[in-house]
Amino acid sequence: MADVEMKPADTIQDKFEDKKDAKEPTPPPTPAAEIKSNIALIEKAVWSLEPRFAHRVLRSFTALRKKLDDAVLREAIQEVYPADSTVKGSLLSWLPEAPTRESMDVDGVPTTKPPTSDPVPEVQIYLQLLLIHHLLTKPETYPKAITLVKETVAKMQALNRRSMDPIAAKVWYAVERVHELAGDLAEARPLFLAAQRTASLRHDDETQASLINRLLRNYLHYSLYDQADKLVSKTTFPTSASNPQFARYHYYLGRIKAVQLNYTEAHTNVRQAIRRAPHAKTAPGFYQAVHKLFVVVELLMGDIPDRSLFRHPVLEKALSGYFDIVKAVRAGSLSQFQATLSQYSAQFEADKTHTLIGRLRQNVIKTGIRRLSLSYSRISLRDICFKLHLDSEEDAEYIVGKAIRDGVIEGRIVHEQGWMECDGQKSGYGPEVSEVFGKRIAYCLELHNQSVKAMRYPLNAHRKELAAAEGAREREKELAKEIQEGGDIDDDDVGPGDAF
Amino acid sequence: MATPHMASLYHELQRVFEARPTDLAKTGKLLTQLKIGLVDAGLYPPQGASNLEDLVVTRDILEIGALWSTRVKDIPSFDRYFSQLQVFYTDYSSVLPPSKREYPIRGLNLVRLLTQNRIADFHTTLESLPLSADQIAESPYISHPVNLERWLMEGSYSKVWNAREEAPTEEYKIFVDSLVGTIRNEIASCEEAAYNSLPLKDAATLLFFRNQTELLSFARERGWQIDLTGATIHFTKKGEEKIEIPKEKLISQNLAYARELEQII
Repeated sequence: MADVEMKPADTIQDKFEDKKDAKEPTPPPTPAAEIKSNIALIEKAVWSLEPRFAHRVLRSFTALRKKLDDAVLREAIQEVYPADSTVKGSLLSWLPEAPTRESMDVDGVPTTKPPTSDPVPEVQIYLQLLLIHHLLTKPETYPKAITLVKETVAKMQALNRRSMDPIAAKVWYAVERVHELAGDLAEARPLFLAAQRTASLRHDDETQASLINRLLRNYLHYSLYDQADKLVSKTTFPTSASNPQFARYHYYLGRIKAVQLNYTEAHTNVRQAIRRAPHAKTAPGFYQAVHKLFVVVELLMGDIPDRSLFRHPVLEKALSGYFDIVKAVRAGSLSQFQATLSQYSAQFEADKTHTLIGRLRQNVIKTGIRRLSLSYSRISLRDICFKLHLDSEEDAEYIVGKAIRDGVIEGRIVHEQGWMECDGQKSGYGPEVSEVFGKRIAYCLELHNQSVKAMRYPLNAHRKELAAAEGAREREKELAKEIQEGGDIDDDDVGPGDAF
Repeated sequence: MATPHMASLYHELQRVFEARPTDLAKTGKLLTQLKIGLVDAGLYPPQGASNLEDLVVTRDILEIGALWSTRVKDIPSFDRYFSQLQVFYTDYSSVLPPSKREYPIRGLNLVRLLTQNRIADFHTTLESLPLSADQIAESPYISHPVNLERWLMEGSYSKVWNAREEAPTEEYKIFVDSLVGTIRNEIASCEEAAYNSLPLKDAATLLFFRNQTELLSFARERGWQIDLTGATIHFTKKGEEKIEIPKEKLISQNLAYARELEQII
């Protein structure tokens, strides 16, 4: 027994050792210590001009946010700032009065030396960001959070430091969150718009990406699709934006395009959003929302989504209503479609897909006619009307006529006899096959290009190569000189090829 | 109101507009005078925080203007009035008491988009209405254009035709009438594809023509062959469509692939 229990403990120990070797000495991951190591990373990012480190800090942000409490924050602030710092005082004032006991961690962690000067301002913003999120966990501290957010934004804009950009982008998210929880999202709009202008003038890509998404979300929250569309056409989304921001942007774009009946573009955007989205388990909410839209857009395009999609553990429950809609569309049954629509109408309304799904009605009819035309060579309009639950024969005639014109079915109506005659289907292997093929190839190629663009190269790595190239050129020059000097020896030697 | 003169003009406008039958020429004249007055008072468009009462009056004048423009069939003018009204319907919605003319006018705007075949704009506008699906179904002013759009899309043209009678207000009919021309052309193109031949009488009912001469001139416009003795229309089939290989498209596609592959290697 003892052996068995020992093993896992050992491996954990080993892994721990590995990590220690790989990075700088990692303190045991108490939240406060984590904050401190993050701060060290931020400082490193500022000194080395490498946003990479700051990004690493922000990646762990969500996980860290959940572990925060008053004591942790206080401890972190106490240890980072020197005792007489003014910033420290102002930061601590946001937290409730400390219980008097000393921090326990002091002897646990080998503290190197008490800091003598204030760390870089980025650290202050980072701590304030943590504070904001902490204040947002309890409704009674919302007003405090609002004042702190305003202060942070003012400070951030006054400092205007490029090394702060990654953190600034996160702060804007906090701004939105604060306003949303306070219920006045519309009022944050002018603030965002002004900040967006400044960010684009300063080529602050991270903040720009974050702000464009904030604005789009803001507009779509109030269903202002017109304004959102104008914003998209007037701005360029920075290509260097991070993946999650891109995923959001594509999702919002997909929604705008879907409302505008531009389903092809909506489909491309939503697919990109799915590809760039974080893993289903880490961000299930986004994953579900994107897939809901994806299913609807796919249906609107006349395709039927994959069945396996609805069996995905994260999606299964969330998409159950959409699954029923898919079934109704597939069967071409108007009554089933209407029943499903009214059954889940509250859910669709909440997802803001209700009007989009309402547009599917015509697709249901088309599928129904198509099925009939495949199974009958001749069918009376009365029967069509009956089978598709249409209101009158007259309607059926017009609808079938439109379906024939739109190329949904092959056939003709014989008015005198009141029936529809259907021709055999075309072979189905025409130019449209190459179109579908082309679409898939385009997707793969784009995927490849984007992955190439996403590759990162450490700064200044090319210097080494340059130095090597410099050396080679130097040698070449010497060689040329030698050749020139010894030129008269073999005048008739035509090329270097003869020398070999 | 800013001046007693304006107030009297406004009351005059209300009186003239409510009277049946309405004196359209006089309404137009009053509207022009009032608009100049509004510009002087800084309410057209409204700037900053204005007196609530003034805003309500301004909105009222603009609403009458919008309805008046539909009655005189001046669509661009309706467009202008509507975009000015939007400020009141969206930005001031929390301050002002709701107007009973708001939804009729919003509905009219939707129908206008339909008649101009601006379907994408129609849906964007519909999406931005602050109404839930149930409320849309309940409001006759909004559900009317929504149903029209649905019927147009699925091809239930007879329902669109019948809906002219169900229009919630007089102004709707003006727009819906202009829809009829669009529908007729739609139906005609469907018939060309779906029928070999059609008796004249049935063609007239399908196309909503009341007499044959109208039908004949319409058929001539579209170039249909009419057999008067048999009383049928023959639709010329545009030959069997050959499946053509889109050469240029395929070539350009393949070149694009080649270029991309080149980059990868």
